[in-house]
Amino acid sequence: MTAARVPHSAVPNHPVDAALAERLAEIVGEKRVLFRAGELLAYSSDGLPGYSKQPSIAVFPGTRDEVVAVVRELARRGAPFVPRGAGTGLSGGALADGVVLLGLNRLTRVLAIDSENALAVVEPGVVNVALSRAVSAYGLHYAPDPSSQAACTIGGNVAENAGGPHCLKYGVTLNHIASLTVVLPNGDIVTLGSASGEQEGYDLLGAFVGSEGCFGVALDVTVRLARNPQSVRTLLADFTSIDAAARAVSAIIASGILPAALEMMDAATIRAVEASIYAAGYPTDAAAVLLVELDGPSAGLDADVGTVVRLSRESGARDVRVARDDAERAKLWQGRKKAFGAMGRISSHLVVQDAVVPRTKLPEILARVHDIAERHRVMVCNVFHAGDGNLHPNIGYDANNPDEAARVHAAMREIMRACIDAGGTVSGEHGIGLDKMPYMEAIFSPESLGAMCALRHVFDPDRRANPGKVVPMHSCREWHAAPAARAESLQRA
Amino acid sequence: MTAAAISRSATSAATHLSARIREAAAGGEQLRIIGGGSWLDANRPVRASSRLTVGEHIGIVEYEPGDLTITALAGTTLDEITRATAAHGQWLTLDPFGNPARATIGATIATASYGALAHHFGTPRDVTLGVEFVSGTGDIVRGGGRVVKNVAGFDLTRLVTGSWGTVGALTEATLRLRALPTTQSTLALGVTGDTDVERVRAAVRRLPFVPMAAQLLDATLASTLGVSKRGAALIVRLGGNEDALRAQCAEVSAIAPASEVGIEVWRRLQTSEPPRAATLRLSRLPSMFTATWRDSVHIAERWPGSFCHGDPGRGVCRIVLPLSDDTNHASVRAILDVPFDGGRIYERLPASLWSSLAPSAMRGPLDRGVKAAFDPQNLLNPGIFGELQ
Repeated sequence: MTAARVPHSAVPNHPVDAALAERLAEIVGEKRVLFRAGELLAYSSDGLPGYSKQPSIAVFPGTRDEVVAVVRELARRGAPFVPRGAGTGLSGGALADGVVLLGLNRLTRVLAIDSENALAVVEPGVVNVALSRAVSAYGLHYAPDPSSQAACTIGGNVAENAGGPHCLKYGVTLNHIASLTVVLPNGDIVTLGSASGEQEGYDLLGAFVGSEGCFGVALDVTVRLARNPQSVRTLLADFTSIDAAARAVSAIIASGILPAALEMMDAATIRAVEASIYAAGYPTDAAAVLLVELDGPSAGLDADVGTVVRLSRESGARDVRVARDDAERAKLWQGRKKAFGAMGRISSHLVVQDAVVPRTKLPEILARVHDIAERHRVMVCNVFHAGDGNLHPNIGYDANNPDEAARVHAAMREIMRACIDAGGTVSGEHGIGLDKMPYMEAIFSPESLGAMCALRHVFDPDRRANPGKVVPMHSCREWHAAPAARAESLQRA
Repeated sequence: MTAAAISRSATSAATHLSARIREAAAGGEQLRIIGGGSWLDANRPVRASSRLTVGEHIGIVEYEPGDLTITALAGTTLDEITRATAAHGQWLTLDPFGNPARATIGATIATASYGALAHHFGTPRDVTLGVEFVSGTGDIVRGGGRVVKNVAGFDLTRLVTGSWGTVGALTEATLRLRALPTTQSTLALGVTGDTDVERVRAAVRRLPFVPMAAQLLDATLASTLGVSKRGAALIVRLGGNEDALRAQCAEVSAIAPASEVGIEVWRRLQTSEPPRAATLRLSRLPSMFTATWRDSVHIAERWPGSFCHGDPGRGVCRIVLPLSDDTNHASVRAILDVPFDGGRIYERLPASLWSSLAPSAMRGPLDRGVKAAFDPQNLLNPGIFGELQ
């Protein structure tokens, strides 16, 4: 690369570090280092519209060795960086604000499949659904299935501890990771966890999963695979009130039946889906539908289906339909998985939240959400993982209308507050990133936030990996001082 | 008080422990954390002049059956949780080996101890949703929460689970519950010789469902538990609605002739360990279970009265050597200190053997960094991970 290639910065007030860009190009090749404004535009947002942050340089290593070399080069220069998979995240977590963006989406190899032990070793850029496809010949699949699974990567899933509809029965990403090889921000390579025997000691694997790119970069991921169920039944229950649908959710959960998935969509979502190319045949006059999936051995499954049908009807369902074949089942799911896309068709901007409430609080919270939306004159769509109590209230709007935007954001803040007051939390699967950071102090004490900063400090003492995300900076300052100094001050106290 | 205020506020147990730890910090006094006290006979090396008692903080803080979660103070015993939840047709799927009348939920999480139910339901790492603990600096810290799905912030819950009190003293935990299956059945299958172990392992893996538990018992244990008088046996715990259970029983019976042995066998297995023992866990990939089982049987055969059992699905075997006052520790060492290429974890040992047999669990800079961040003066359970060796 010649210096002439790096004339202007893409970021105002952030001069491109030409020497760094050149050095990175030596590692990964010129074509894999971007620094012009036009080139970087695609990397200025993630799956959550509403934020725009421009990286200074975007670098795309193609091999594990290149990733390590890039991270070590950044460490040598003390340069902050943001790891990024497919950029489908919904919390602004993969945005690089004037720092280096480290794209891992070229590392797409499935390195090993061990069908006997239901394990696979993959590179971080392997797309979620591609992994399930790669192991399907063995009767296996990768269980966590975020709605973005056609695009999102396993590395990104690990960073976010991603969920998905089927996490109700099968658990989130954390429950499916056996071990990781990680390059720490300082360039050291460590193995966390073990697939081939128990270890005693700190669960650093558990700490790393869900650390939102703040603890380092996964080089390879050993995932646990799930066996394909013998049989699957997918039901659509149709309700004339949201409250009745919420009561059905509570009744199903309390019955002891653990559905593979238990999803709710409200009238606004149903209408958006049915008006889009993803139309799934949902009843457009329903106030809410539940999409319930039961899976497992064939024996006993129909008895559970019967129970779910009965409980739904007892809670007020107008109709309960069981998908007749795989095609109908796929159609019902497509409507759910593409619901956000369908809503994007209607509005130019979308805010979406990810709060979780105790499941018994669902009817109460959904009523609160309705009241709040009415009061602020905004239209909230609810499409969410009801079985987990994981709400995704989302509001489409026009960000160019300041009055509307203000009402939307005020409504969202109130909704979040209501969820927290109900004993809930602010993110079930999307992560904190940038978007939910302001809520962290509402759910965690300064000591708890300080402890999170302390944990981050163990992995990244310089806070160069995904800087400014997850835990508000001022919380870190409170803990911040070196442990020895803290101990000293305690002794003085 | 709103629920949010509750989630940020500290329990009185934590306030109490925080004051005690700060006092200890001021005097440089090292503390051994004591829950129900049942782990003390593991003889883990702890160099502490004083005790920090957490076992007195007992009670269920919140239990809403419809949420399938429970929040309890750390000193609450597993039996107390079982009693509260069974009344609502629910259970906590943690059955660590030991006495559940004495084992506290705090110690179970702190040691990441698990039992036969881990075959299906996982370990405390999979079941614990949130914790409150007091760090070595006296800070009262909460991780996770009371909901079943939570990615808010870095995962302090996982960090403290299995940390043996070296990160902080647990004061409260929220756990995921399950509905008790409508019907249950436990079947025993005779297993003879390595060929049969491998055949049974592969057959269990091929079942179209994951049993709630599956344990291979050596002849000694099978006989003690009254399962078999003629050698090793596999016991399998099944459950579900009536149709499901009938099909499960048929599938398992097709592996080998099976007999119903009654659900009580699981409690007998859980409490089968003698009061004094050396206990070792060996693990490799589940596909190598037969080899791991052979290694375990080989160790058990060399010590009178010892027994072993294993979970073919998890690839883990457990060997228990009963000890007495007269036991020569050098001979225990000679039996246990054999080459093994997988995971080796000692649960209990004579005090004199820890330093020579058990490797330090503080493997690298990250482990030492965690300890330094949460307990910079090394006040809490110093030495329990072998870090001072």
